[in-house]
Amino acid sequence: MTATPTPTSAPQTVRPIAALQAALAAEHAAVYGYGVAGALLTGSDQATALADWRSHEEARDTLEAMIVKLGATPVAASAAYTLPFAVTDARSARRLAAALEDGVTRAYLGIVAVSDTTLRTFGALAMQTPAKRAAAWRGSTVAFPGMTST
Amino acid sequence: MLAASTTTLPVFLALSACAGPNPLAGPPPLSADVRGLFDAVTEEQNLIWIYKRTMASYSAMAPALGALLAEHQAHLTQLRAMIVEPPGKTVPSTVTRKPAVPGSAAAAVAQLRTAEQSAGTAQLRRLGRAAAPLAQLYASIAASEATHVSTLTALAAGSRG
Repeated sequence: MTATPTPTSAPQTVRPIAALQAALAAEHAAVYGYGVAGALLTGSDQATALADWRSHEEARDTLEAMIVKLGATPVAASAAYTLPFAVTDARSARRLAAALEDGVTRAYLGIVAVSDTTLRTFGALAMQTPAKRAAAWRGSTVAFPGMTST
Repeated sequence: MLAASTTTLPVFLALSACAGPNPLAGPPPLSADVRGLFDAVTEEQNLIWIYKRTMASYSAMAPALGALLAEHQAHLTQLRAMIVEPPGKTVPSTVTRKPAVPGSAAAAVAQLRTAEQSAGTAQLRRLGRAAAPLAQLYASIAASEATHVSTLTALAAGSRG
């Protein structure tokens, strides 16, 4: 996809804790969402979903530790999340997995907007794995992972 | 949600000098952002060249490679759009690396994969000194290149099978 992306916030104003909290919130959503998607998948897709779910749990724990180290309280997971569309079968479950990964990719790209070089690099590297998973679930790549399109 | 965009990214100032202009001096030096953009443009042009040559040599892979090529062309367009040409300088339009296309499809894909990895690494090296919106563009392009590496790895596995 090569559509031109659009913004939702001014990245110059991003503060490290806010960016990390947004990424953590996205990881919480992914952990929840994979629970839904995994239940509708079978075979190798289900195995992949399980591995991805575990990866998101690990990423969540990493972000929580980073936020605590910065002196803040990590945002908690919600009890439930509204899914972006009805997830009723394997096809929609794969779409959900791709959407979850897109959301996480977007959140990590938000970290790249902070001024701290170490955090920038962390965000840039961290977004690559969900970008690859999103492409795998979707079956195609996009030109600008993490950026919203018009 | 924090999200980045390339449509409203500020156009970067081409010049780094902040003091008043001296009309007798030469053009002021390029800012770090513009130098980084010039390098990124050249990198994309090099990638596009390799893709086109590979597709010309191995037409059976053209459909798969064409999608990746289109994304590099989108990267190039976006990077070029970020630049206001400074006085006395033009946005690079020359391909600086023209490796020979290997003699087998598998080796050609491996060369593309290496080129993508190298380009992604170079994008990440530009992050630290770049303005935030530009850093996000570099990070997004690097992530795109990482997805291309995965695609090419799968393509190589398929071509072996």
